[in-house]
Amino acid sequence: MDTNVNVAENMNSKKPKSTFFEVLKDFFGKDLVRYIIRRVLMFIPTIFLVSILVFFVIQLPPGDYVSAHISALASEGEILTEDEAEAMRAEYGLDKPVIVQYGMWIRDIIWTPTDSQYYRIHHSHHNWKYSFAFGKNVWDVVEERLGITILVTSIIMIFQYAVSIPIAIYSSTHQYSVGDYVFSVIGFLGTAIPNFILAIVLMYLSYKWTGKANVGLFSQDMMVNGIHWYNFGEFLKRLIIPIIVIGTSGTCGIIRSIRAQMLDEIGRQYTLTARAKGVKERKIVMKYCFRAAINPTVSGLGGILSSLFSGSTVTALVLNMQIQGPQLLQALLTQDMYLAGAIVMIQATLVVVGILLSDIALAFLDPRIRYSGGSR
Amino acid sequence: MNKENILEVKDLRVNIHMMEGELTAVRGVNFEIKKGETLGLVGESGCGKSLTCKAILAINDKKCEASGSIKFNSDESGEVEILDLDPKGDAIRNIRGKQISMIFQEPMVAFSPMYTIGNQINECTRLHITKDKKKSKEISMSVMKKVGIANVEKRYNQYPHEFSGGMLQRALIAMALVCNPKMLIADEPTTALDVTIQAQILELMKSLQKDFNTAILFITHDLGVVAKMCDRVAVMYLGKIVESADTETIYANPLHPYTKGLIGSVHKIGGSRDERLFSIEGTVPLAMNLPIRCGFYDRCTVAIDGLCNKAEPELVEIEPGHKIACFACDHEKCKAECERARKEIAEREKRERRKVEIEAQEAAMAPKKKKLFGRRA
Repeated sequence: MDTNVNVAENMNSKKPKSTFFEVLKDFFGKDLVRYIIRRVLMFIPTIFLVSILVFFVIQLPPGDYVSAHISALASEGEILTEDEAEAMRAEYGLDKPVIVQYGMWIRDIIWTPTDSQYYRIHHSHHNWKYSFAFGKNVWDVVEERLGITILVTSIIMIFQYAVSIPIAIYSSTHQYSVGDYVFSVIGFLGTAIPNFILAIVLMYLSYKWTGKANVGLFSQDMMVNGIHWYNFGEFLKRLIIPIIVIGTSGTCGIIRSIRAQMLDEIGRQYTLTARAKGVKERKIVMKYCFRAAINPTVSGLGGILSSLFSGSTVTALVLNMQIQGPQLLQALLTQDMYLAGAIVMIQATLVVVGILLSDIALAFLDPRIRYSGGSR
Repeated sequence: MNKENILEVKDLRVNIHMMEGELTAVRGVNFEIKKGETLGLVGESGCGKSLTCKAILAINDKKCEASGSIKFNSDESGEVEILDLDPKGDAIRNIRGKQISMIFQEPMVAFSPMYTIGNQINECTRLHITKDKKKSKEISMSVMKKVGIANVEKRYNQYPHEFSGGMLQRALIAMALVCNPKMLIADEPTTALDVTIQAQILELMKSLQKDFNTAILFITHDLGVVAKMCDRVAVMYLGKIVESADTETIYANPLHPYTKGLIGSVHKIGGSRDERLFSIEGTVPLAMNLPIRCGFYDRCTVAIDGLCNKAEPELVEIEPGHKIACFACDHEKCKAECERARKEIAEREKRERRKVEIEAQEAAMAPKKKKLFGRRA
């Protein structure tokens, strides 16, 4: 009885004010916060490994940056002397060991000082070197399409989830119903039909129905003036075909995965417990089944992101979309390794960020993941 | 319906639709539970115990179809026929958890790992008692304390994986009792627990039953637990009740050979170590396309040929409160049942003979048809 009284007193009395330090300690003592910090810290070595890989890719083609640069200049009619070439090599640090070169490459990407020659010419603090294929500095080439790529990719991803989650819930709660079969067939068709064929068919249809070939992401007007609110609607209209084409290819996978997972959860004991408590069927599905079923899908977010980056290239070529995929392809075809490296590096970073975000979302969803052990 | 009874189950049948055909898992079960009483439902795995109690809450799988009658004497709405209610409707949801609640077999999987224990217990409180957040939390916490969970403030916000099995079972009991239900269905609540915890949980259930005057339907295959907990016992075999009586009567004077076997197979302290445990030979047959005969016939040592394998015994009350379904029992009322069955068998065989004769005649009369594809019906 004594303990009960104590407990009751504790419940009634308000907590004494804690110091800032205590609040801080409390905050970092939480499983969730610790998990997130751990995950964010793991982000750094991952990016480090990716950068080593990219640096390796850049080193692959025969000859070094300076010889490539010299031949590029030579084609424009400017001949460099042997001394000038040596001076250039020295400036780029190409006479130093590979590790030092790697360090310099990273340093230049992160921050190129104002007094360097690169900054004086290009007015950019991020030196990704020079793209020979485009005849421009790499960052200028990349920057042009980076924003639009991220925008398009996220819209497609949101579309995928927005379409597939309701369908998956419907299919799993109405297993073997007509609707379930219809959605399954549509989903399989979306996966089975090659993207470019779907793209061509849709392009043809849109031309037939609207009389306009909505090819490319931008209209003439947008090319000149950029995207503003007044032409954003037009931009979205041009996005419809790419969204359908690229979006449907992944939708089926998500539907099947959530559906299977949901069916699994619906058969679980705790679903039965909830039902025996008198919880509404709808709430059982959403609170108990769906939250557990979404788990693998959320953790697959990084994978979906990378498949969107690489998988959209062919479609982007067919639809003449101004995103990074075709750019990367061109860079690889022309052995423009600095451009290819930059794109791969940026996309890999985005994917790693996506994985990080999905892991954090997962920790919010599932307490077992953020659980770091402790006393019972 | 008797006013004293809280639940009356009459001729309950549960069919399971399967790819291979219809499986009748529960084949006409009758029992009733008085207010505040504990009825033990005993039987081996697969005899339909769990399906019976799921049918009471109408939480059976979609594939299962229950028929018969389950009458519940509700305080709020009087007599309710549960099988008539929409299993997803409001009426049945008002009974579930609030008036009849259930404790499940495996506490480790009965809670969702995604939510705190407090959240899941409180869900029940908020559904049935009060929508007020603070009040419902207080009620939930007080019930958690009552079932013996120490340090409730901390435990309330913990997740199932931070609980031990025994503690989870306590939490499950708290969740079942939080709305003071009139009836509790306990589906093997201690099977997954070790013996010391088992004893604690049983004591807890008993004392809570006293406090709340709850009727308990106690499902188990552990006869020791039955002796400790139950006022009356019903023994189930192959989807039917074969014997039911007071707990003392069952232990002192088991009449059905299956009940005898069950009691005989419990080991006793003091016996020799080399002594072999009694076991009932064979297994429960699959309840699909069962022939008309006693379900226990194949395994029975006292079976009467020509009777047990040709008719199925009905449950007869031989003494007040003691019912048995067996032809091989010496009691006079069982003898009368034997006579009835014999007559039935004779009549059926006569009918069958005539049917065969008629069929043979018809076959002789009918013009022969050419067979097209294989056999023709």
